[in-house]
Amino acid sequence: MSAFRQPSVLPGFGLTLGFATFFLSAIVLLPLAALVLKTASMSWADFVAVVSSPRALASYRLSFGASLVAALINTVFGFIVAWTLVRYEFPGRKVLDAMIDMPFALPTAVSGIALTAVFAQNGWIGQYLEPWGIKVAYTWLGVTLALTLIGLPFVVRSVQPSLLEVQRDLEDAAETLGATPIYIFRRIIFPTVLPALASGFTLAFARAVGEYGSVIFIAGNLPMKTEITPLLIVIKLEEFDYNGAAALGFVMLAMSFLMLLSINLVQAWGRRHIVAARR
Amino acid sequence: MSITLDQVTKQYQGNPVVNDVSLAVAEGEFFVLLGPSGSGKSTLLRAIAGLTEVDHGRITLFGRDVTQVSAREREVGFVFQNYALFRHMTVGENIEFALRVRREKAAERVRRRKELLELIGLADMDDRLPIQLSGGQQQRVAVARALAHKPKVLLLDEPFGALDAKIREELRRTIRSVQRELGITTILVTHDQEEAFALGDRLGVMNLGRLLEAGRPTDLYSRPATRFVATFLGAANLLLRREARLGPEAAGQSRREQEVVAMLRPEEAELAPDRDALTTGFLGYGHVEEMQFTGALERLRVRMGTEAAERHADASATAMSPVWIDVTRTQPEQRAFPLAPGQLVAVGTRRIHVLPTPLSSFTVCAESREAAERLMSNHWLTDLAARMQTRLSAQVEPQLASEIPAPGPAPAGVAVVAAGPDCPAKVRRLLGRGVTPILCLPEDAEPPGRVVVHFAGQVARRATLAMTASLLRHVPAEAVFLGILPSGSPERTRTAGVRQLLDVRSEAQAGHGLDVRTELRLGDRIEELLRELGSQPGQMLVLGLPEAGSLPENFEALLTQSPGWPVLLA
Repeated sequence: MSAFRQPSVLPGFGLTLGFATFFLSAIVLLPLAALVLKTASMSWADFVAVVSSPRALASYRLSFGASLVAALINTVFGFIVAWTLVRYEFPGRKVLDAMIDMPFALPTAVSGIALTAVFAQNGWIGQYLEPWGIKVAYTWLGVTLALTLIGLPFVVRSVQPSLLEVQRDLEDAAETLGATPIYIFRRIIFPTVLPALASGFTLAFARAVGEYGSVIFIAGNLPMKTEITPLLIVIKLEEFDYNGAAALGFVMLAMSFLMLLSINLVQAWGRRHIVAARR
Repeated sequence: MSITLDQVTKQYQGNPVVNDVSLAVAEGEFFVLLGPSGSGKSTLLRAIAGLTEVDHGRITLFGRDVTQVSAREREVGFVFQNYALFRHMTVGENIEFALRVRREKAAERVRRRKELLELIGLADMDDRLPIQLSGGQQQRVAVARALAHKPKVLLLDEPFGALDAKIREELRRTIRSVQRELGITTILVTHDQEEAFALGDRLGVMNLGRLLEAGRPTDLYSRPATRFVATFLGAANLLLRREARLGPEAAGQSRREQEVVAMLRPEEAELAPDRDALTTGFLGYGHVEEMQFTGALERLRVRMGTEAAERHADASATAMSPVWIDVTRTQPEQRAFPLAPGQLVAVGTRRIHVLPTPLSSFTVCAESREAAERLMSNHWLTDLAARMQTRLSAQVEPQLASEIPAPGPAPAGVAVVAAGPDCPAKVRRLLGRGVTPILCLPEDAEPPGRVVVHFAGQVARRATLAMTASLLRHVPAEAVFLGILPSGSPERTRTAGVRQLLDVRSEAQAGHGLDVRTELRLGDRIEELLRELGSQPGQMLVLGLPEAGSLPENFEALLTQSPGWPVLLA
């Protein structure tokens, strides 16, 4: 172990590593292991039947699809919000900055109910969308909206520090070299912010996949249509079908892990590729 | 001329950061803008590049007016203090950035890249990322990048600021040789006078947003026109001395003693055991107070005896404060006359340079000690004296305003009197004794943000102009020459009036390097001046009197207003 030891201001490498391992095991790995074990107690046929039922498949589509869309929306708008907060001085900037974190603090059920109230057919916004034939509450649109709400802070907070880091001098330099604002954005600002944007996207996506509280109020929860996987798991639990719930949980776990892993791999590959391509 | 600045002004929240700067840089010239931090030099450089918009004035690059042209289209190369390299691009990509923007062919890009890497001596660093280079190497890359699109002008903003001494020296040589090789017109901004001397064909010294002086390094060093340039370009002893001189308007005036500001460089001072051993002009006796060995040179501080003819400019109001002369001596000088602290020495001067400034020091003239102290505590006056590194003293004359002649010694330098009802009487008395200039100062006067200059006579007298220039160098305010013609004056008179105003401007520019805007009004002279000064607070008037030594009655209104404004009469 001493081979890994690096000189550091803080003493106690052994102690901290031990603590970190124990902490992770107790609160993250152990429950996940229990989930896997519970799933493993099922027979293969039962497992396949549960996880590939049409109702389950529809819920995966909604959960992952809506999360993906929400995370993409957040990536775009979160970037704009972060840009505004970092680059401009305006009255109320501090207040707006603080408001970004509210979805973190608000009980998710509260935001779900509030969104439903606003977007229901007779709600403040819903009543104007109704004549256009757009229904938000109790459709997949509503699910996406709820997931967007809870994912926004992740993108903003990831991008903000890296935007602060893009020095004005870099933009000035590019301008004196003849670059147009669009060119400067594409070639200077965007590449600098991209890693932060990607990690913001990943966080927002991961959060959206696991979200339960806010979605169940606005989704309407129609089987096959507006039922997300976490809800399906809760339904299984209420039916005392613990094995079925564990199986669905396992699938979510596996899919999330695969997606997050692939995003990280793409990012790492991208970094190396960019450098390598220039040699 | 390849770079021409014409009365360029930039304000931030009402404060001029760059104040009426006019400058012409010749083709292929290496011009160095030198100044302390906050002097506006970087802002001016950014304005030339188009990175900062200007509020007034015109910027011309090779005959093309670029004042309204964006930085993108000005075709300048700019080098930043912190390199500002694109970190996600390799050295080569950084260098060819400007060419890529211009959609140059790949072959041309590669050729130019190789050429520039060769030029800066980093031929094998093409594929490195900026973070893999040292600071000096990064700045070389930044220079190469700024040159890629073959700009006609290269602008460098403190390019050595973040580097240590040795690399600084090396990079300085590189930049100088690159500049010579390409013959590119270059402006470099720095606060380091050594760097400025080493690099510049010509220097411009900035302070408080104004370009004080521009010229060849040796000229500015040995014959500065302003206190600031004298002290900023190297150690300098500023001395106040009385000199018999002809008055400004020589005709019909007797010779009278005048106070002048003189500069003595520490290396121009000579020390000897006594007066007769000096090979140069005798200045006075003093005691060695402090000695410092700095390698090649020895630095000494000599406390001058009170019998010294000169009074040191740094000395504050009380005459008791010590008066020092800083001296540096070479090794041979040290060996010839070894010294120890406390020793009595005779101080001589090999060369002493009298500054052309007419504002030497300030003498507050009042009827009582209390009144004098009230005036002397005006923070603008104390600030101004401190900024000019000059003396602020008091002279109490109980009969200052009365008609009874009680001639004391004429106050030295600028006489300062309190503004108010009896101000005109005081001014007349002082003028009668041949005292000019006179500053009428309201006790609660604030630092002015705008200086109105008006010449009441037909011609602007040289002395007034010199005084205006000298004052403006120490006042961070915008200034305007205000011409006033009687309303209803015929076309011919008007044309003459405009011409006269423009003459004043060009005379100020030619004689003092001072660029001031002009405005022309029609109406009664006094009414117009009162309206102008009353229009907003924080203004000051510099008034050139119609004839030397007299104050016409109708001018009294300008000195007696309440709340008033500072008026400088000459």
